[in-house]
Amino acid sequence: MQVFLQTLIGGISFGAVYALVAMGFSIVYRTMGLVNFAHGSVVMIGAYAASTFYMASRLPFPVAIVVAIVVTGLIGLIIERVLRPLEGRDFDLMLIGTIGFGTVLEALAILIWGATGHAVPSPVTAAPLDVLGIKIRTYSLLVIAVATVATVLLALFLQRTKKGAAMQAVAMDPQAATAVGIHVGRSNAMAFAIGAGLAALAGGLVGPMLYVSPVMGGSLGIKGFAAAIFGGFGSIPGAIVGGMAFGILDSVAAGAFQGYSELIVFLVFAVAVMIRPTGIFGERTVNRA
Amino acid sequence: MFPRKLHRTITAAAAVTALATLAACAAPGESTGGTADATGPIKIANVNAQSGQLSPLGKWENKGVKLAIDAANKAGGINGRQIQLDLFDNQGDPTVGTNLARKIASEGYIAMLGTSESAVTLAMAPILKDAKIPNITSGQSPKLAALKSPFLFLNAPTSVTYDETLAKYLVDTKGYKKIALITNNGTYGAGERDAFLASLKTRGITPLGDEVVTPDQKDFSASLTTIRQQEPEVLFIGAEEVESGLIAKQARELGLKAVFAGGAPMGTEPYLTTAGQENAEGSVVSSPYLSNDTDDASRTFAAAYQTAFGEEAEVHGAKAYDGARILVEALKQTGGEGGQKLADAIRATKLDGLLGDFAYDESGVGIHATQIGLVTSGKLVPQTAS
Amino acid sequence: MKRLVVPLLAIAAWLLPYGLDPYAIHVVDVAIIFALLGIGLGLVMGVAGQINLAQVAFFGIGAYTCAILTTRAGLGFWVAAALAVLAAVAIGLVVSIPALRVQSHYLGIVTLGLALAFINWTTNAALAGKSEGISDLPVPPLFGVDLSSEYLFYYVEIVVFAIALAFALFVVRSPLGRRMRAMRDDSLAAGALGAEIPLLRITAFVLSGLYGGVAGVLYAGLIRYIAPETFSIANMFLLLAMVIIGGRQSIVGCVIGAVALSLIREVLVDFSVYAQLGYGTVVVLMVVFAPTGLAGLPVRLRARLRGRTGGDRRGPAELRPFTPYGEAPSGDPTGVVLEIRAVGMRFKGLRALDDVSLEVGAGEIRGVVGPNGSGKTTLFNIISGFYTASSGRVVLRGTDVTGAAPYRLAQLGVARTFQNLRLFGDLTVRENVLVALDRTRTSWIWRYVALPWTVVRQDRALSAQADELLDRYGLTDFAGARPQSLPYGIQRRIEIARAMAMSPRLLLLDEPAAGLNGEEVRLLGEMVRSLRDSGVTVVIIEHNMGLVMSLCDQVTVLSSGRVIADGPPAAVAVVPEVIEAYLGDSTYMSHESQDTTSRDATSQDTTSQDTTEAAR
Repeated sequence: MQVFLQTLIGGISFGAVYALVAMGFSIVYRTMGLVNFAHGSVVMIGAYAASTFYMASRLPFPVAIVVAIVVTGLIGLIIERVLRPLEGRDFDLMLIGTIGFGTVLEALAILIWGATGHAVPSPVTAAPLDVLGIKIRTYSLLVIAVATVATVLLALFLQRTKKGAAMQAVAMDPQAATAVGIHVGRSNAMAFAIGAGLAALAGGLVGPMLYVSPVMGGSLGIKGFAAAIFGGFGSIPGAIVGGMAFGILDSVAAGAFQGYSELIVFLVFAVAVMIRPTGIFGERTVNRA
Repeated sequence: MFPRKLHRTITAAAAVTALATLAACAAPGESTGGTADATGPIKIANVNAQSGQLSPLGKWENKGVKLAIDAANKAGGINGRQIQLDLFDNQGDPTVGTNLARKIASEGYIAMLGTSESAVTLAMAPILKDAKIPNITSGQSPKLAALKSPFLFLNAPTSVTYDETLAKYLVDTKGYKKIALITNNGTYGAGERDAFLASLKTRGITPLGDEVVTPDQKDFSASLTTIRQQEPEVLFIGAEEVESGLIAKQARELGLKAVFAGGAPMGTEPYLTTAGQENAEGSVVSSPYLSNDTDDASRTFAAAYQTAFGEEAEVHGAKAYDGARILVEALKQTGGEGGQKLADAIRATKLDGLLGDFAYDESGVGIHATQIGLVTSGKLVPQTAS
Repeated sequence: MKRLVVPLLAIAAWLLPYGLDPYAIHVVDVAIIFALLGIGLGLVMGVAGQINLAQVAFFGIGAYTCAILTTRAGLGFWVAAALAVLAAVAIGLVVSIPALRVQSHYLGIVTLGLALAFINWTTNAALAGKSEGISDLPVPPLFGVDLSSEYLFYYVEIVVFAIALAFALFVVRSPLGRRMRAMRDDSLAAGALGAEIPLLRITAFVLSGLYGGVAGVLYAGLIRYIAPETFSIANMFLLLAMVIIGGRQSIVGCVIGAVALSLIREVLVDFSVYAQLGYGTVVVLMVVFAPTGLAGLPVRLRARLRGRTGGDRRGPAELRPFTPYGEAPSGDPTGVVLEIRAVGMRFKGLRALDDVSLEVGAGEIRGVVGPNGSGKTTLFNIISGFYTASSGRVVLRGTDVTGAAPYRLAQLGVARTFQNLRLFGDLTVRENVLVALDRTRTSWIWRYVALPWTVVRQDRALSAQADELLDRYGLTDFAGARPQSLPYGIQRRIEIARAMAMSPRLLLLDEPAAGLNGEEVRLLGEMVRSLRDSGVTVVIIEHNMGLVMSLCDQVTVLSSGRVIADGPPAAVAVVPEVIEAYLGDSTYMSHESQDTTSRDATSQDTTSQDTTEAAR
């Protein structure tokens, strides 16, 4: 029982990171129907940017993350701008284009920061909490809190602000949105920038939990994407639930199946997608066939 | 459409050319491309991952090799000939490794240093053996020694030696009996697990726990909580630098009190920084190269390394440095000649290296001992116990 | 000129090893293996449109099976090789199962996950040698020829490759390949034309498994050592880059991309970070500026040049008049062709159709009218099998076909056109028609392996029929054009021609007059009458009341998902509910004929076909 609860806690703390990654995938997807396969690499760049500003420039941790969000937001804008000619034309090609971008970002990271990578000291030094023998990392609590705040802010932005409402409108019907004077391209660019910003948030937060290296984006990206689909692609609550579910699945499988955990995780995922392709919360997008 | 006549003419011409070429040499590939000439630089290949997951290892190895070869060149080279060191990136991929093996064979390289990935070295070994190119590898899988290739040499002990030394210290000297393992299923981790389990078995100890993780894993809660309940005195960690660090960090966060023990990766900078100094404190490390401060030789090496690359030396660089120096010594014996003669010379080389006294046996292992160090205030301190 | 290409290439391939050193020949050997993988990926992804990121796992299955069977079970190399290819094909079959449920990026992530699962298995299983892999594979024996020589192995590879390439080209150009491309462009329309989508997707994956398996066997024979890293995701993305850069829709392009990138990778092996940067950049540039890859460049350049020099040298293409069909020798002029019994349809609480019943007699032209959102297109989608009715039954000539897949209905003689045109964009007009003309079942594909010449013969017969059909519809001048490049009116006619190519008994026309001018509408009316006279029963959704009144024998009026009137045009027009329904939506009476983009509330027409399409 103790093992199970502890595993659950471990799964949830990484699940919060997957949830942030998944949210980045979803916001771009729901707005423009694109899967950004470069997202994992953007997470990696975000992690590097945040940790570099935190460690080398000695900025406070939250400030470093904000700077990283700005940096990746710009990268997001660039990706969107370059791939814009394909928008609404060839979905699969765009997807492959983003894979190309991912490769480019990874190579750039190696050129800038080297292949070795670095560890990031935790900004929270308080000892883990002990609840009936279950240890809870204080830093994990921070991550979960930040993920929650980010979700709430994002939801408020989408529902309460003019720009957010415009993005919702573009997601529902781009032609109608254009007709009422919404700039679709700008809205898409903003979705991309927000997605990339979320990536930096995820990357910045995961840095102290893991180790920042050019290859860290690969598995975070794949698992974050899987989490987004798990929860219902394009849905914000879906991303949160999917991220948590995937984190827990990952951790439980690691305990139960040891070295075979990855095999089990992806088989379960494949079966889940086949049974319910729309995920837990259903796909939230208008298909632009 | 082409006129029919022209078509026929071209076909005929092509056929004649083909036959002529065929007559010129009966079967392709008869001429061997790689006979090294006795003048000009001596070509040595350094094959290591420069990209991908394992590239940090490859970069360290390359620095060690470069340091040794540069020193040899500065000292006048081999009989006045300079050594030309070329770096090849195997990307951690055995297929690329086999390509490179053929490449260095056909381009006249007479010896190879690297790789740091046992799987790649294993893939390359048969080709290098056929081409009679001696290879001093940084891999430490027991499988490498099991090949008994006359052209394959290790620049460090195999996992068996590392873990035997470790088990001896932990069980025989310290008297620990309650031991648990956590290893990954990569080449390195799996090799460590096999070797350490074997060493425990000869001492009649059954481990309390034996958890296997994947090299890509991030959360070890399940395995570590299981281990925590078994209350071991020692946790043996068999994984690469970063993953070892993550395991150590999470273990302490989960309240695991056991002493950490493991091989060379746990003496490195990434392990210490990833785990955090506090968490890494007291880790028991079995390594042939404990620190840059053990003796004069290591101090000299570390100083030179610092000057050349502006960073602190570590075990992988030291291993590769020793390997390269052995090669240089052997080349001096053969006067720059390669092939069987060079292999024999390497086998005969006795070197007092950073890692110890090298003396090769027929399985290509030159060093049969490691030392035990304890992580103390972020530094590896040698233990002179037993 | 073209005839020379093959013999010259053959001679070049034969002579190539003489000019290469041992390292270069090895590079070439590896490049050929990647080229085989590229063909497999090109077939499944480029031709059939299935995003398959498990190609590298098929490769691995081939190599691992071969290695395990030779080293562990002691089988001979070629026996093991045959079994290995079978294993890869079987795995291809398994991986195709998700493709029946999900498409596009969903399929991408599922196949990627399965590839990761495979790598994980090889790293763990003692049978597969764990992370250290399997070494000491035997040298493949071949009548005393020493295949440990890479030069001689090259010849084995090149022969296998030539056969594999020829087979792939044959498949792509055959009716099967055409169907796959049609499915890639628009799987709904392809299904409505009788293409058995599930079987086609399975076939695509089986083919890619076959090529992966063959490549794996050659790899095992060449390298004679295998380890999990070779089948990594990084290599999968490299393979993907090869296919995209080469041009995924062209098999030759895939080969060129694979060979080119393999060679470049060798050249840049010492600068791999820059190489990586380079691939990534080139992939991005390719998808944006040259989506058809290297293989597509000549066509694009030619098109651009032609654009500059002022178009075709041939005379202006023109739409010629339609040649009416002869009167049918009266099949069964009586009887009911289509019967809708109390059909209801709900979308998440929204009631699109409610208790709709109607009967269409043989040889009738039935009009279905009603305001926007009244459920007309939904009704068509139910009849043609895109939706399964929530309640009620659909009966076709006495057979209950409720819930049957579109391709089943197509085989039973139901053809349809679409409100917003669903022509296959990457196929020529002629090929569009050919897809519909081909009435063979996909299960017929065993002939591709066993009796390829019968396929060729059949294709020739289809070709003749296509010419005849295009001629009847006056489309001969546009046979080689892409539909998108043609005026709207012509595209409408192509769609009708395509539907008629199926020789249907029931033809569903969804707003065929939308976007047509007065003269075109008149011609359309004549055409539909001629179709009916040839023995086809027609159901037509139309907003153009003039056309409906003059053309239809019977008219059914829908409003808010219910039938509010049913009868001869003149009788229906005076029913008070009908007048009310139309006055309630006053836009109709005034805009009916120009209303080209009207999106009959059911933009469900396009609901998530790519993503969550049920297994049909």
